[in-house]
Parts: sequence; structure tokens; C-alpha cells
Amino acid sequence: MGYGRYLAIRLLNALLVLALVTLLVSVLFTKVAEEDLKSSIQEQINMKLRANPELMKQLSADPERFQQWYQSEYNRLIKAYGLDKPFWVRVLERTKDTLTLKFGNTKTPIFGETNVKKIIAAAIPRTVLLFTTAQIIVILIGLLLGVKAAQVAGSALDRAVSIIAMLTSSIPMWWFGMIAILIFSFKLGWFPSGGMTSTPPKEGFAYYTDILYHMVLPVGTIVFVLFGGWAWTTRNIMIGTMQEDFIMAARAKGVPERKVIYGHALRAAAPPIITMTIFSLLGSLGGAIITEGVFNWPGMGRLYWTALQQNETRLLMGVTFVTVALYLISMILADLAYGYLDPRVKVGASQQT
Amino acid sequence: MRWIDVKESLKDFWFEFKRQKGGLFGIFLLALLVFTALAAPYITEPDIPKKWTTYWEGNPTNVPPVWYNYFTTKKLAAHEVLTYENLKITAEGQDLGGGVKYYAFEFDYNHKYDLPPKDLIIKNIGAQLADLNTPAQIVITVYRPDGNKIELLSADLVEGSIYQIAKMGTVRNNVFNWASQFEDPKNLQGRVETIKSTMDVMEVIFAKAEPGILINPQPLHGDYKFVVEIFTFTKGDKIDLKPVQIILTGRTYGFMGTDYKGRDLWAGLVWGTRVSLVVGVAVAVLSVLIGIAYGVTSAYLGGWKDEFMQRVNEFVASIPTLPILILLGAAFKGHVTLWTIIFLLVMFGWTGIAKVARSMALQIKEQTYVEAARALGAGTGRIIFKHIMPQIMPYAFAVMALNVPSAVLTEASLSFLGLGDPTAVTWGQILHDAQTNSATINGYWWWVIPPGLAISLVALTFVLIGVALDRVLNPRLKRL
Repeated sequence: MGYGRYLAIRLLNALLVLALVTLLVSVLFTKVAEEDLKSSIQEQINMKLRANPELMKQLSADPERFQQWYQSEYNRLIKAYGLDKPFWVRVLERTKDTLTLKFGNTKTPIFGETNVKKIIAAAIPRTVLLFTTAQIIVILIGLLLGVKAAQVAGSALDRAVSIIAMLTSSIPMWWFGMIAILIFSFKLGWFPSGGMTSTPPKEGFAYYTDILYHMVLPVGTIVFVLFGGWAWTTRNIMIGTMQEDFIMAARAKGVPERKVIYGHALRAAAPPIITMTIFSLLGSLGGAIITEGVFNWPGMGRLYWTALQQNETRLLMGVTFVTVALYLISMILADLAYGYLDPRVKVGASQQT
Repeated sequence: MRWIDVKESLKDFWFEFKRQKGGLFGIFLLALLVFTALAAPYITEPDIPKKWTTYWEGNPTNVPPVWYNYFTTKKLAAHEVLTYENLKITAEGQDLGGGVKYYAFEFDYNHKYDLPPKDLIIKNIGAQLADLNTPAQIVITVYRPDGNKIELLSADLVEGSIYQIAKMGTVRNNVFNWASQFEDPKNLQGRVETIKSTMDVMEVIFAKAEPGILINPQPLHGDYKFVVEIFTFTKGDKIDLKPVQIILTGRTYGFMGTDYKGRDLWAGLVWGTRVSLVVGVAVAVLSVLIGIAYGVTSAYLGGWKDEFMQRVNEFVASIPTLPILILLGAAFKGHVTLWTIIFLLVMFGWTGIAKVARSMALQIKEQTYVEAARALGAGTGRIIFKHIMPQIMPYAFAVMALNVPSAVLTEASLSFLGLGDPTAVTWGQILHDAQTNSATINGYWWWVIPPGLAISLVALTFVLIGVALDRVLNPRLKRL
């Protein structure tokens, strides 16, 4: 399988997933829009009645005529709004809205805004600030610790890394966030329990330190839960590489151990590690969906929580669509990088594995 | 495979597995969890799942477990329920003349805490009145260990009356009037109304009769005797004391405290084991079986069919699970059952295993003994099930165990978002309630810590077993 074909297949794949998600979102969209429109139609008919007392008097005298009038009015409006078309036609019409990110408005303002697109645009940078920062710290610690553990395989450090990875991979991150709030915010009172800034926000330079101060707990939580897994994966990749013949050759040649590890082994182990890095950095735009909600951080994850709690289906669709799109883009980028870095993909040897 | 071979290989396997300390610990934890799940109706009550969606009347809300008292300086009263057996009936239908009948019972309460119960509730007095316009009369009096007596309440009694001592205005008045004789007048000056409306009635009833009783009550320990007297005025009125229930609403409750609906969190914790284990194991087993069947079939068929099945696999694998699950959960909101969740998790969970199973099957397919079998005329089914499957199965067990944690965590996450089965008792749902009721900010640790620990424990159990199985069954990893 050549590089070009490999890429084409991955791209097609991503497009298929996007199509599926678009369809799902559109179906949901149609359902919600139908409910909204129906209640607004009822409202309109009532308004018309109230605005026209003459008509009301006539109609209230004769219930049968009222029924008739109501039905005809209702049917007229249903037709005017296009609700008489078959479900699938309406779904297809909605698809265009979904693809152009026209998700409409929320029922109540969120972040002082009702336009879903604007809400999401406001949320993404905040998520990047929180989650991408955390992710970078995780990657740095994870890589250093993983390489170190692989270097001294079987030692106390190595075993500690394995145990930490096992323990932290069993913990739900959002729950750990709740515990962190309980200990450091409620019990010790060291850090704020949530939000991005104090209310009201501080001015000038203090504004930035305030944000940093609010970031400590969530970043700490994310780093604690994720770094073990990263270290462990790095360690496994490195140990796999360290058993290759060329490492033995380098050692036999008298290359210093430091150089063997950082020069030869790490370089060979680079493709999967770099792919992982790209993937988790771009994937971090979607945020730690639930953890952000726990910390009340006004980012993408928080939007999921708000949308679900307040039944804001339009917001939920928007957030999901954007998250999935970002995920797919990062997947393609990661694939690109992997194919570029690992020559085996280009030559086609990957087919045998 | 003959039975003796199975026995032999199991013996070998156990010999190897015994040396994995983590794995043994995992097995121990698993046994414990399975026991808890099976014994849930006996450890707690059998009708918990039915009761779980309702408010638990009479239970205190948001109170810590009883054992919390070992760690605090202020001892908090435990929850107590008294029934007919605990009461001393002193009069039952005694005729006082003039058609008046007299009933009375008393009960003792030993106050040994720093903070008394939150409330005293008397209910289920089986009253049957012949004439609804002349209600019976109830008088509640408390005799304190220091010899003082307070008449708490004298009120009408009709059918179905419930008396919540701490919440009744007349009781508040009576207790205030009684206590103000001991209070230093200087403390009361100009603040009578404020103090009256803000004082904790129960604390004053159980306080030392000294200055400060109203503004800073100090507990008076000892035996308190509560006397409840009932008078009926119409012939034909009947009072049945058998069903009477007296609840001393605690400031602590049970092993794990209660939540905002007064539910016993211990019961929720025990019953949650079932859902977690069932979802985790069902998802893992089903997705591994489907994955292996898919992978092996794909490898065996080869050619364009293999290619096509591979593409389908990749397609499913690249769907981001959680966002889609959230979307589907929101679409079916309120109609999600445990089986829906299991089905959805399996739908997204089989791909990784299918990929590995395929590459293993590709290798096995080329082995000479498969060729030999084919030469002897063995059919496709026989080769797959007799020769390829047995080779892959050991690997499958390890993957099954390693797949449970993510299933458990995903189910918990969905429940936490409020998208789980609304009728099931799950740990994620307990945490959801905790989050929506700001349990962390209010410091309700007993509501937040145990369910999460339980989730982590289930996940850890299977991680330990999975890693141990992987080490034993995949010799390649042993040297690492």
C-alpha cells in the first residue's frame, strides 16, 4: 500500500465518519426544530385569536366551527414552515445547516451569548488554555519518566511507573477532580473550587495571575491522571526499540549509553510517540469533556454539561459536531505524520504486520 | 482438544499465574465484588432498586456516616427509629368518664452526643375517629434528667397526623417560653423574636438549664423520658398504637451517610456493584467475542472480502466514542436502559481486538498443521474452530479482562452526565446527583468519595487480572 493510497483511504474514512455524524446531528436537529416549530405555531394561532376579539366571539359561540378554523390555520402554518414534507427530506435540508455550522440559538444565554456558533468560538480558546497546557505538561513528564524507566527496566522506578499507570488508569478523571475540589478547595481552602476568573474579574496583570491561580486544580488533576499512562506507553515503546539489533550494534561500537538512548533508540521510537503527541494535542481541543464540567471551566467540556443539564439540544449538537470535526482533523494529521516518519508505511511493509 | 489436555494446560496456567502477585490480588478483589453483588439483597434490603428513585421519608438528608463521630470533636446523634416494641404503653383506652378515653405511652432516649437529633417525628398513630368534627387530643411532654419537664405540644389528633417536633411553631413557642426562665435577661434584650425564630428547638430541649441555653446551648447528657398522651372524646373513637413509629432524625446515618433525598448511600454503593460488574463484564466479553469472530473471519476469507472488512473496522474505530454516545444518549433521554448502554459500548468496542485477532489468524493460517488439516479435507468451520480459535482464546481472556475497565469507566461517565438508565442504581448516577447538588463545595465527602473509589476498585481489579493474564499467556512480554 503506497503512501498516497494510504492517505486517500484515511481521508475517505474521516469523511465517512463526518458524514455519519452530520446525519446523526441533522436527524436530531430536525426532531428539535419540529418540536420548537409546533409549539410556536400554537403560540401564533393563540396570538391571532387574541388580537382579533371579533373572531374570537364568533368562534367561541360555535365549538365545531372553532375546531375547523383551528385545524385549517394549523395546517396552513405547518405547510408554511415546511413541516408537511417527509422526515428524510427535512433531514437532508438540515444537513446544509449542520455543515455550515448554523446551529441556531440557545433558549437561555450562555457566556452572555445565545448564538451557538459564537458560544463555541468563545469556548475553544479557554479549553486550549486549560487542556492543552495540561497535555503539554503530561507529555513532557510522561516522556522523561518513560525513557528513564525503560533505561532501568525492572528497577524500583520502572515498577513504580507501572503501578502508577495501573492505578491512575482505573480512576475516572472527573471524580478525581471532585476529590481535588473537596480537599484543596473545601478542606484546605488553597484554591478556588471552579470557574476561570474571580467574580468580578480582576483588572490588568492580576487578571492573568488570577487565571493561572484558577488553573492549578484542573491542570493538576489532568496531569495526575494522565501522566502515568503516557510514561508507561513510552516505556513500552522504548523497551521494544532497545531490544533491536541496531542498539546492540551501537553499544558494541562503544557509543556512550546516553547517546544510544537519546540518539538512536528515541529516534527510532519517534514515529509512534510523535503521532501520539499530535493526536493528544489536537484532541485536547475537545477538552476533557466531563472534567471541565466538574471544575466549572467555561470551555467546550463545560458546554456539554450545560447543554445536557439545561436541555439545550442545539448547543449539544454544535459542540458534538465541532468536537468530532476537530478529532477527525487531528486523526488525519497524525496519520500524515506517521506515514511521513515511518518509512515502512511508505514502502508498504506495513501490510505484513 | 481432549479433556485431559485442558486439565493439563489449566494446571500449567495456574502454576504460572500463582506467581503473579498482582493477579492474585485482582482475583481476591473480584471474588469480593462478586460476593457483594450477589449478596446485595441480604446485605441491605431487597427492594432498594424500587425505592431508589423516591425520596426516603423520615431519613435525614445530607448527613455523614455514624463512624464520622470517631474523627470529630462534636459527637453527632445517630439516626434512630422506635416502634411498638420499644414503647412502654401505660394506658390503653382507660375510661376517664364523660366519654373521654385515655391512651398513653412513653419512651426513653439516652442523649450522649454533643448535638441531639435534628428532629423528633411521631407518626402512624392508628386513629379512627367516629366524628371527624371532634378530633382527639395529643399531649407530648418530655421529662429531662435534671428533673425539669417541658410540655412540648398539645394539639389536635386526626387520622394520619404526623408530628414533626422541630418544625412546629407551637413547640417552638413552648420550648422558648420554658427556656427563657433560665436565660440571662441581658442576652434576650431586644432580640427575643430573632432568637425565637433562629434557635434550634432540639438543641434547646436537650440543653443544660443555665444562662446561655438559648444563645449557646450546652448538651445535657442522660436519659430523657418522652410521654405521649392521647385523649378521645367521642364514643367509637379507636386508637391503635401498634403501628406507631417514632423517628429521631439523626445528624449521622448508617455506614455511608445519606444524600439529598435521604437515601442510604451504603445501599446505593452495594447495589451499584451489580450494574458496574454486569456492564463491565458483558461489554468486555461480547466485544471480544465479536471482535475475534470478525478478525478471524476476515483473515480466513482473505482477498477483497478481507480488505472490505478491514475498511469497515477502521471506519468504526475512527468514530469518537464519547461524543457520539452523549449525542445518542441525549436523543433517547429517559428511555435508556442498561442493555442500550451495553449494546452501544459493544458497538464501538470490538474494533481493536478484531485487528489483533486478524493478524494472529493470518499467522496461524500459514502454519503447516493447518495446511495438513486442509489436505486431510477439513472444512472451513473445522479449521477456524478447531485450529485457529483455540490458539487465539488465551489471548482473548487477557483482552477481555483489560477491556472491562474502559467499559466500566464509560458507563460511569455516561451516568455521571445524567444519560444512564434512570431506573438503575449506579455509582455514576450517585456522583451525578452529588455534582448537581454541589456536594464538593459543601464538603459532603461521604457522598463523593465512596462511589468513585468503588468505580476505581472495579477498574483496578480487572486491570490487575488482565495484566497478569497477559504476562502469563503472552510469553513475549514476560521478559519485560
